Amino acid sequence: MARWCFGGPALAAALALVLATGQAVACARPQGWTGGARIVGELWTAWWRSKPAAIPVGAHFSIRFHLCGPPVGRVGVRGWMPDHRHGMNYRPAVTLNGLSGTAEGLMFHMPGRWQLILDVRGAAGREKLTAETVLE
Amino acid sequence: MSAPALEFTAEEERRILRHGPWPPASRPDPSNRVSGKPAAIAFGRALFFDPRLSFSGAVSCATCHPPDRAWTDGLPRSRGPPSLFNLRFNRWFGWDGAQDTLWAQNLRPLLDGREMGVGPSGAARLVRSDRQLSCSYRRAFGVAPGADDAWIFVDLGKALAAFLETQVTGRTPFDDFRDALARNDAAGQARYPAAAVRGLRLFLGRGNCAFCHFGPTFTNGEFADAGVPHFIKPGRVDPGRHGGIRKLRRSPYTLLGRFNDDAQRSTAAKTRYVRLRQSNFGEFRVPGLRNVALTAPYMHAGSLETLADVARHYSTIDEERLHAGGERILRRLDLSAREQVDLVAFLKTLTEKTPLHEYVEKTGNALCR
Repeated sequence: MARWCFGGPALAAALALVLATGQAVACARPQGWTGGARIVGELWTAWWRSKPAAIPVGAHFSIRFHLCGPPVGRVGVRGWMPDHRHGMNYRPAVTLNGLSGTAEGLMFHMPGRWQLILDVRGAAGREKLTAETVLE
Repeated sequence: MSAPALEFTAEEERRILRHGPWPPASRPDPSNRVSGKPAAIAFGRALFFDPRLSFSGAVSCATCHPPDRAWTDGLPRSRGPPSLFNLRFNRWFGWDGAQDTLWAQNLRPLLDGREMGVGPSGAARLVRSDRQLSCSYRRAFGVAPGADDAWIFVDLGKALAAFLETQVTGRTPFDDFRDALARNDAAGQARYPAAAVRGLRLFLGRGNCAFCHFGPTFTNGEFADAGVPHFIKPGRVDPGRHGGIRKLRRSPYTLLGRFNDDAQRSTAAKTRYVRLRQSNFGEFRVPGLRNVALTAPYMHAGSLETLADVARHYSTIDEERLHAGGERILRRLDLSAREQVDLVAFLKTLTEKTPLHEYVEKTGNALCR
């Protein structure tokens, strides 16, 4: 079972900014999606969902994502265990089509706290959108 | 002495339960078209004990992996022969994970002149010329041995894999305890020794063991630097996983190559996406812990003779020696003498009660007539 939260301290700061300036990127759940989760950033907001829906420990999974915001040039997807200071043993392949994309080949290879990071780059800037989970 | 009524937190209970049930569900290996087929299992069994698969004619797989000694000869080397239990659940094979299938792993000693070294042409010639082997090949694969040496050679690896897939360990005292916990059976839980309960708590908690020794097989199937020396000889270091990934990428015998029987490459994601990092240097495969009491010596080079030595190693680990690249998993545990005994008591409950000789008998022998 996994418990998800999104953004951490960076998101808290971004949310404060958004609340102060009213610049939140409106982002509806992509059409045809059931489930999925949202990560709100300053420049982009991401909807994402994994396959399988519950991320397993020690097995490959993929994600689909959809971004709202300015045009995107490149998205990197990675996993990180902040308590252990290591990432994944696998480098996922990201396919981007406009503001939507997939990442194949992810694996969280041990239980514990993991971050899923979407590293989004475009002419408007660069932003890391982070979701956090504890895998048991 | 048995444990009194056991009280576990909800988190402890979840952590215990994830190490079962045993045995887990399994399916044939799609990359091996004879996986699970009785004729291939019988053929693989015969090959395993056949010394003609070595260039000297004197060494068989069983020489280094004797079944009556838990499939390991117990001799320390720069890389010791691992036990062959539960291989069907592995993700990677070999201490460095240079092979991505069990059938490819079986080819490695046949190619290595320091081990069996028969090679593709020698193996193919033997199978074609020997009536017994030729008959067994035909039964296992449905066709007579063909003209392509490489395919016959790979098929021998696949028959050996079909045999080794059958070597799944039996249930253990830990499994009985874990299942009693799952069904809330207090009497069943109370049969588990108190020292093992204390050791289990260490294993799951302060010991941090279960980050790597995770799940029903007690391994996450990946690689770690466990702080043991990896010098092969003075001035020469075993690169471990770093070298393994490089070998994997050069090998023709992988899930991405022509010998994979699965046209969909449905199990090839690990090979396609595996990542080479500097921190892979000195990492070795995390072994499963089932039947661990039978598989001494321990660590990739057999440098620790007993489970007590292993508990002492992690208790006093030299953090300076780790090539962890900033990772923070292994820490000097500073376990007391009593805690080390408890940890060993727990580890011993991961060993099944079935006498070893039954493994030899289970394998059977079916000749092709």
